[in-house]
Amino acid sequence: MNLYLTGTFTDKKAAAEAIKQLKADGYTANDLAVFSDEPVEFPRGVLDRSSHMSLAVVLGAIVSFFLVVGFVYYTQHDYRLVTGGMPIFSFWPTGVVFYEITMLGSVLTTTGWFVWESGLLRRNENVPIPPIEPEMICLRVRCAPEQFVSATAILEKAGAKNVAKLEKAA
Amino acid sequence: MVPPTISSQQVREDLWRPLAGASRRYTLILSLLCAVTFWGVLAWGYQIRVGIGVAGIRRPVFWGFYLVDFVFWIGISHAGTLISAILRLTDAGWRKPVTRAAEAITTFALMIGGLFPLIHLGRVWLFYWLFPYPNSRLLWPNFRSPLMWDVVAISTYLTGSLIFLYLPMIPDVAQLAQFAKGWRLRLYKWMALGWSGSDREWHALERAMKLMAGIILAVAVSVHSVVAWDFAMAIAPMWHSTIFAPYFVVGAIFSGLAGLIVALNIIRKTMHLERYLTPHHFGNLAKLLLLMSLFWLYFTFAEHLTVWYGNEPKEMNVFGARVRGHFAPEFWVMVFVNFVVPFILLGIKKLRSITTATIASVGVLLGMWLERYLIIIPTLSLPRLSAAAGKYSPSWVEISITVATFAAMAALYMVFSKLFPIVSLWEFEPHEQEEG
Repeated sequence: MNLYLTGTFTDKKAAAEAIKQLKADGYTANDLAVFSDEPVEFPRGVLDRSSHMSLAVVLGAIVSFFLVVGFVYYTQHDYRLVTGGMPIFSFWPTGVVFYEITMLGSVLTTTGWFVWESGLLRRNENVPIPPIEPEMICLRVRCAPEQFVSATAILEKAGAKNVAKLEKAA
Repeated sequence: MVPPTISSQQVREDLWRPLAGASRRYTLILSLLCAVTFWGVLAWGYQIRVGIGVAGIRRPVFWGFYLVDFVFWIGISHAGTLISAILRLTDAGWRKPVTRAAEAITTFALMIGGLFPLIHLGRVWLFYWLFPYPNSRLLWPNFRSPLMWDVVAISTYLTGSLIFLYLPMIPDVAQLAQFAKGWRLRLYKWMALGWSGSDREWHALERAMKLMAGIILAVAVSVHSVVAWDFAMAIAPMWHSTIFAPYFVVGAIFSGLAGLIVALNIIRKTMHLERYLTPHHFGNLAKLLLLMSLFWLYFTFAEHLTVWYGNEPKEMNVFGARVRGHFAPEFWVMVFVNFVVPFILLGIKKLRSITTATIASVGVLLGMWLERYLIIIPTLSLPRLSAAAGKYSPSWVEISITVATFAAMAALYMVFSKLFPIVSLWEFEPHEQEEG
């Protein structure tokens, strides 16, 4: 069973150094998590998190577009208004509706993908979350019991304070 | 920016202080606003019970104060989302204390603006006929109708604005949840969605906000364009214009900025946030307001010049009524407060201050309301068929509902600022940029 240990940093560079050392020691990005009360941007390559949010949003918009076009096409043929020789279905008068629903699709996809990608609603309750102190960067490391000592050493060498095993909150 | 001498603990205390308790003055003002709002609700109830005839709208002026208010509030709603989105996308550092206040204005103004098409309906209880569902009448809504465009556009914008306001509030409510008790604790925990402050969450939030800023910008522009097309699609004098959509969008940003400056000044004074909403922020907003004033003048001039040069009799009827006839006082007051006042107070550097920016903004709000009035009423009073000309004067019901919407806006804002920090805490704290 894996253990979790944490170390607290006051300096972003020191935290980045610890991450680099841990990755050199065989840890993957999935074993590491950084907790803070504000966003911490590391240089590229330190702790990258891949994202498909942009792609998902574009796809969400495309799907919404086709759904709304199909729906409007269906409704206009289901109950045919007298259009005086003009087409029953035309993009000009319904373009605004298509546009708005396409954008609504992208808004909802962004929100849904944010919730999914951030992991907010699918958190593993067995994984402990460290408390965050203001202006501090907390690095959580998942390791095997036999790696505990070496991981602790790496964190301490990088300048981490309060390195300790993280227990699940009661 | 906060001077570096202020600790993050101090920032937190200052921004959270307004959330604690309610002073006697706060309670009194909120009660007064709620009373005015309630009066407006009663007036609407009276209109529903007796009929739309209690409003001043008569043939041929079927769109009166309600449509003026509708366009005005939708315009104000552009304060937040557009301004906040533009500043987010351009990474303007000074935006940080301003964005949440702006986004809240958007949400509340949209809620109020979105009510007016319902208030305007003679039989409001049938509004659900606008929903697209296979009903017993075997009819679908007519998606070709600009009324449906409004419904779809405002629903999309309201959904987007709510999310745009909510997402960056998540880290703040998660922090608040650590200290709150009772119903506030339940509310904040529910809203925080279990936010823990992990890098995965921050990355997702920042990505989502960037994308949302781009999307909401496109939606905001489209919404006021749709509102403009409500008019421009009619072949009515001085409405059937190709520049109406951008003219309305410019006007919306203009009035939205003015609303934001007024709101920020009130927040600054009442919540004692002088260290966070500084003259620097107001200076930047004032410059933007001046720029929008010039854009507004340009569009107004272009619109009127084209009509004047065309010299089409029916259009000239409306033109004449606006600039030298029955509506001339309102027209020239509008030009004065929308251009002359901002140009003097904000254009001359020595005169530019928080107070003058607020004075100019109050003027702009009045001017932009008059602009909507001048777009709607003269055209309907002087239709193409001369014999059908008529006059409009608002009834007490319309005036009551109009006043109530301003009170409702202020009340919603006061309640919001008691529940959530009006300045985003996590965004405000300075943090280093990405290296390398």
